[in-house]
Amino acid sequence: MSKKVVITGLGSISPLGLSTPQFWQSLLEGRSGIGQLRGLFQQDLKVKVGAQVQDFTPESFFSPTEIPMLDRYAQFAIVAAREAVKDSGLTGEALRRGAAVIGTGCGGKETDERAYHTLYKENKSRLHPLTIPRGMPSAAASQVSMECGITGPVFTVSSACASAAHAVIQSVMLIRSGIVDVAVTGGTDAPFTFGLLKAWEALRVLSPDTCRPFSADRSGLVLGEGAGIVVLESENHARARSAHIYGELSGCGMSSDAAHITDPSAEGAAKAISMALKDAGLNAEEIDYVNAHGTGTEANDITETLAIRAALGEQADAVAVSSTKSMHGHALGAAGAFELIATILAISHAVVPATMNFTSAGEGCDLDYVPNQPRAMKVQAAISNSFAFGGLNAVIAVRGY
Amino acid sequence: MDQKIYATVIKAIAQQKRIDASSIAADSTLETLGISSLDAITIMYEIEDALNLEIPNESLEKLSSVQDILDGISQLVQSKA
Repeated sequence: MSKKVVITGLGSISPLGLSTPQFWQSLLEGRSGIGQLRGLFQQDLKVKVGAQVQDFTPESFFSPTEIPMLDRYAQFAIVAAREAVKDSGLTGEALRRGAAVIGTGCGGKETDERAYHTLYKENKSRLHPLTIPRGMPSAAASQVSMECGITGPVFTVSSACASAAHAVIQSVMLIRSGIVDVAVTGGTDAPFTFGLLKAWEALRVLSPDTCRPFSADRSGLVLGEGAGIVVLESENHARARSAHIYGELSGCGMSSDAAHITDPSAEGAAKAISMALKDAGLNAEEIDYVNAHGTGTEANDITETLAIRAALGEQADAVAVSSTKSMHGHALGAAGAFELIATILAISHAVVPATMNFTSAGEGCDLDYVPNQPRAMKVQAAISNSFAFGGLNAVIAVRGY
Repeated sequence: MDQKIYATVIKAIAQQKRIDASSIAADSTLETLGISSLDAITIMYEIEDALNLEIPNESLEKLSSVQDILDGISQLVQSKA
């Protein structure tokens, strides 16, 4: 029996579009989802730019009775899960026995902040009865399970900016262990709420203009939002139903720096990359593309470059490295899912998305970052890096199928 | 040097690092005081609060000594006046 895990469905709602074909088309065109921040509270915010999901009207996706139950972060997860499941062609019993593991860094902030506003600002003494079921960090996972009829293991994984990658890896483990044959998995976040934006402002890492990963004039990260969901299956299950297979999810690497709550360590990141390669049975020479964590902060970009060099050795000079955050921003708990989807599509379309907004290489950034122009090239195997605050690292290796 | 600025900066550093204010001199480097980037943003937050200022993100990038902080804050206070 093969223990291989394959990818059979993709779904996303992102600053680059309400579906995965739109997401990919934008990546190919180098079209950015970063723009002037829209919404409430603008006058009270220092942060002026963000990568927001545009033209999303919940009424187009949900019935009037469903909407009150769904925080924005759960709405995103359901929209992406619907697309991924439809793309996979899975229905009924196969889904019923499956798993859903959903990453989120923030949970239902819209709901929580609205509740605190009601209490602290409006001085009301009671809250909306759905505050808990809407806002809880596991709400998105539960809603996805109900949407898809999934009755196997369903839970949330939270590891800040690595949440989606860690969630996907848990799904791989569930399939490899034989607990399930099918998993609907990825990440979701909706961080454009006043309190959360204020908290990010206070950390002084947000860019005043745009995201320029690995560039000398990088000015910090740009927050994003949305959800990315993939359908994973055991190879046997997918082949038995003649499913379209995008690629093999061949390796998983996880590590923790155990060092600092915000500063990343190259050693920890390199360890996760090396573990993913080893798990996949891939040599460094076989990796053609790295979808970088690439946040556009000094702390990440230099450390990640060092980590790629440490883990890939001489291959680091040959590999194409790009950060698609230059277009979809940093969607926190959804970031790893956006980037996994970009990695899978880079393999299946033989095109590597660019690092946009690239001016000149920053200090300590000496790799081939695929600046500003996507590159047509065969990608046999690739990795997607996710390195979270608190030193939580997750790396996924994907191989063409 | 405005005494209020000096006192505010030294107090913010002393509080954040839990060290005696007398052990901090203008020429102390942030490195010798063990001030990390997270310490720095917390110290700036306290100074902003105490002096009712807004310290731009860019101004944190070139700080290497207590004197740099004092100079930067003095400039901000003057430009505000």
